[in-house]
Amino acid sequence: MRDEHDDAVLESELRHLIELVDPVPASLLAAAKDCYTWRSIDSDLAELVFDSVAEDHGVMVRGADHARLLSFEAPGLTVDVQVSGVGEARRIVGQLAPPQRARVRIRQGPDVRALDADELGRFSGPLREGPFSLMCKGIAAGSRPVVTDWIAL
Amino acid sequence: MEQGETRKLVEAAAEGDEAAWRAIVERFSGLVWAVARGFRLGQSDAGDVYQTVWLRLAENLRRIQNPDQLGAWLATTARRESLRMVRGRRRDVPIEDAALTELLPVDESSPEFAALEAEQARLAAHRAKQMWRAFRELPGRCQQLLRILMATHRPSYAEAAAALDVPVGSIGPTRARCLNQLRRRIGEVSEAGSQPHTKKRDNQEDGRAGRA
Repeated sequence: MRDEHDDAVLESELRHLIELVDPVPASLLAAAKDCYTWRSIDSDLAELVFDSVAEDHGVMVRGADHARLLSFEAPGLTVDVQVSGVGEARRIVGQLAPPQRARVRIRQGPDVRALDADELGRFSGPLREGPFSLMCKGIAAGSRPVVTDWIAL
Repeated sequence: MEQGETRKLVEAAAEGDEAAWRAIVERFSGLVWAVARGFRLGQSDAGDVYQTVWLRLAENLRRIQNPDQLGAWLATTARRESLRMVRGRRRDVPIEDAALTELLPVDESSPEFAALEAEQARLAAHRAKQMWRAFRELPGRCQQLLRILMATHRPSYAEAAAALDVPVGSIGPTRARCLNQLRRRIGEVSEAGSQPHTKKRDNQEDGRAGRA
């Protein structure tokens, strides 16, 4: 049985080794510092309330055309989306409830691309790799912007 | 850093102080990365988890219920997003099995070993390789716990418990057991000489210890 001092020495050696072998990549650290300026201010948050991946308990085999279903809820607005395809062919199809015309901005890092939801609240467009969040703002006067939780696919 | 200091940084960042945000990222970056890597995610997937956690925090700065416990919030968020990533990537593999697959290469031509070759001062390259091999042979749960506890800012047991979703009281005893196993394996690989990483005979015992 060794004592705490031996453990501390071994730990310090291991700590040094891991810092050497597997440090946080510098580009990620820089991006994390930058993402502060991408945050939205004065938006309501739509929280993730459903994720098809979290529901199927590992029994389904993943296929290339297997769609990911996600639902986000904010007070007064639900955003349901389906993400399918991989790489260049990845697309997002969404539905706002209650149905309404809206401007939907897809946020991916510093990039923002705008889509229009039609009068039935439907929208669709291409989606890049990497974490994304949607910012939705109804065109009706007085609509508050809603941002969804960020999610990595 | 005092807990009160973390609270002040969170409050300042929520009010628009970018320097406070950067200080938060500097402090907890290693923890978030360690949690994602501890779940056996590769560089790309771990990178997506890492980014998602920081984006979530940026969006939630005003909504953090207990800023003193920010580390635990980050660890919990990183765990959930890592599991989501594991499930999305490998739905045909049960999570426990996925946790046993390799995290980092043990291949001597890998960049990790190249980094080890460059290291001469504090830790001899030979010793470093033996230790890395021994670490990589530990049961998955031990690697995960030690990986998290070794993160740069020295996470608290509460943060490690949040990262692993286990009781805080289990962290200390598991840490001690895992360090003992590591010490024993370092002894074994140095005795075994040139072909050390084929030993698996301790796995049964390790499996029990790892679940504590």
